[in-house]
Amino acid sequence: MAEEADFKCLRCGHQFKAPYSPKDEPQERACPQCGSNSVRRIKEKAKGK
Amino acid sequence: MTDVGRHPRIELMTLSEVADVQGYIGNFRVKVLRKARYVDEKECTACGDCIDICPVIKPNEFDLGLSTRRAIYQPFPQAVPAAFALNMEECLGNNPIACGKCLEKCEKECIDYDMQDEEVEIKVGTIIVATGMDVYDPTELDEFGYTRFENVITSLEFERLINSGGPTEGHLIRPTDWQLPKRVAFIQCIGSRSEKRGNPYCSNVCCMNTIKDSLLIKDHWPEVEIKVFYMDIRAFGKGFEDLYKRSKANGVMYIRGIPGDIREDPETKNLILLAEDSNSGKVVEHEADMVILSIGLIPSAENSLIRQLLTLSRTSDGFFMEAHPKLQPVDAPTKGVFFAGCAESPKDIKDSVTQASAAASRANILMSAGKFTVEAITSLINEELCKACGVCARVCPYHAIEFDKEKKLPARVIEASCAGCGTCGAECAFDAVIMRHFTDQQILGQVEAILEENPQDKVVVFACNWCSYAGADFAGISRLQYPSSIRIIRTMCSGRVDENFVLHAFKLGAPVVLVSGCHFADCHYINANRWTQKRVEKLWDKLEKKGIRPERLQLEWISAAEGLKFAKVMKEMEELRQGVTLEEIEYTRKEL
Ligand code: SF4
Ligand code: SF4
Ligand code: SF4
Ligand SMILES: [Zn+2]
Repeated sequence: MAEEADFKCLRCGHQFKAPYSPKDEPQERACPQCGSNSVRRIKEKAKGK
Repeated sequence: MTDVGRHPRIELMTLSEVADVQGYIGNFRVKVLRKARYVDEKECTACGDCIDICPVIKPNEFDLGLSTRRAIYQPFPQAVPAAFALNMEECLGNNPIACGKCLEKCEKECIDYDMQDEEVEIKVGTIIVATGMDVYDPTELDEFGYTRFENVITSLEFERLINSGGPTEGHLIRPTDWQLPKRVAFIQCIGSRSEKRGNPYCSNVCCMNTIKDSLLIKDHWPEVEIKVFYMDIRAFGKGFEDLYKRSKANGVMYIRGIPGDIREDPETKNLILLAEDSNSGKVVEHEADMVILSIGLIPSAENSLIRQLLTLSRTSDGFFMEAHPKLQPVDAPTKGVFFAGCAESPKDIKDSVTQASAAASRANILMSAGKFTVEAITSLINEELCKACGVCARVCPYHAIEFDKEKKLPARVIEASCAGCGTCGAECAFDAVIMRHFTDQQILGQVEAILEENPQDKVVVFACNWCSYAGADFAGISRLQYPSSIRIIRTMCSGRVDENFVLHAFKLGAPVVLVSGCHFADCHYINANRWTQKRVEKLWDKLEKKGIRPERLQLEWISAAEGLKFAKVMKEMEELRQGVTLEEIEYTRKEL
């Protein structure tokens, strides 16, 4: 199973999951809802777990 | 190859390895380790007297072990120079001499057991990397039985089998009984186009190679039944579709579906393939006398060493990355270095020759000019401010910064290698990098001028020269409207956008800041915009910690052709701006 992380679009607020591994090279990301590249990874801590 | 060997101005160094490369465009110093051949290359006439007498028998690598050779040998019939070489590790021994038969036999006295490896240094202006490729080893795909069944061979082994200079002198035989196989199956994409095992990319040459092989068999032995199991046949390129059609017209059967399993009939040694034909949806059993695995191409094992020596980058598939995929496809990011052939990506002979000719011309343009003009936009290190942390050297996509970790000396920019992206300037925490023509003062000055009056009404947009700024231009030419609140600051690369530029804008009251650059695949500075993204991500965290909405800092990749996207994004920026309150702006000013 590929690793995943939660992302949040800072344009439209949409939250989504996408493949992510800290080992990977940085990737170009776009919000699946509005297409914006202002996509922020929500880190574990911030999710309040 | 023979022409190259004979050319008065080409020095061919065989049995040699590059040990070190120093310097930069026009001034490379290359250390080459010339391995001892133990045979005088100039005197040996390749008469072959020595091989007849050598008692050591080894598998012939060129024939992939399908034939044998001696410890003194010619690697392959057309080898240049046409001189023999002695493999000292395989020889019965020279110290003391344990055999010495070849020495006695050679009338020209060109064998010398005391020859030594030597290291030579050469000075060159340009370098062409043509390290070729390796082939995929199918042993991990056990379902095809490559290690279990003798009659399963690779396409490369087949190539030697069917070659008139090969071990069977071109007679098609199958390994178990040396008889002409009546039914041959080819399986395509072995080690290619798979996310799980092998490699995800298409190896480019295997489809056409199989089509060619199928025609070769049909030309000589029309009675042989041939089945090709494939995912898709990729026959693009001049004349290729015709060959494919000819192969089909000659009776070669193409079955869309890769066998999931191969069994061997223990008596006949025939192979039973079970495959679903995705065109009919039926699972069918096929019997073949011989199976040929069409193996893919993989990056040469030497690529990692060459990459280090020349400070090159590789794409995720392990092949070398070009300076720009469309505009500089044969240039390496390191100036004065070019690629030819499969070092850069899997390709066939024609494409390799095309690329090699292009690389030679690119190198020749530089060499005949003798001088190289550097762009005025380069970086410079202020030695007094530099703390020798090495960050700039680490982030530079062109490895244009020299930095000695041990000596802790200030970093030094090799201007001939610097492309002027400004990433070093943005990443240096000590403001020790001066970016000529895009200095901190110049950019901060623009930020200040924009926000001098009514900052709450402005959106500060950093746009890279090649894509986003060009996108704005395109929007302009196309008469696309975008809000008048947008104020653009041009940088060469988004990688130049220093954290301080963004924070300074917010401190001066900017409601929204946008950092924009080229899409990842289009970055004009190899991968400098990866650093942009990382920096923006850090800034989002930083803003959030200070209680400032990270949404006010936006990131967007806009290409030169995306005028529409530019206009759309600008409208969105304006909407965002309208959502930022004066209280928020005031709070931000105080916090920063
Ligand atoms: S000396 Fe070595 S290379 Fe020469 S014939 Fe004997 S074993 Fe072969
Ligand atoms: S990042 Fe700045 S301080 Fe660090 S080595 Fe480079 S110039 Fe010097
Ligand atoms: S400006 Fe870019 S290319 Fe030049 S030294 Fe700095 S990081 Fe390297
Ligand atoms: Zn969105």
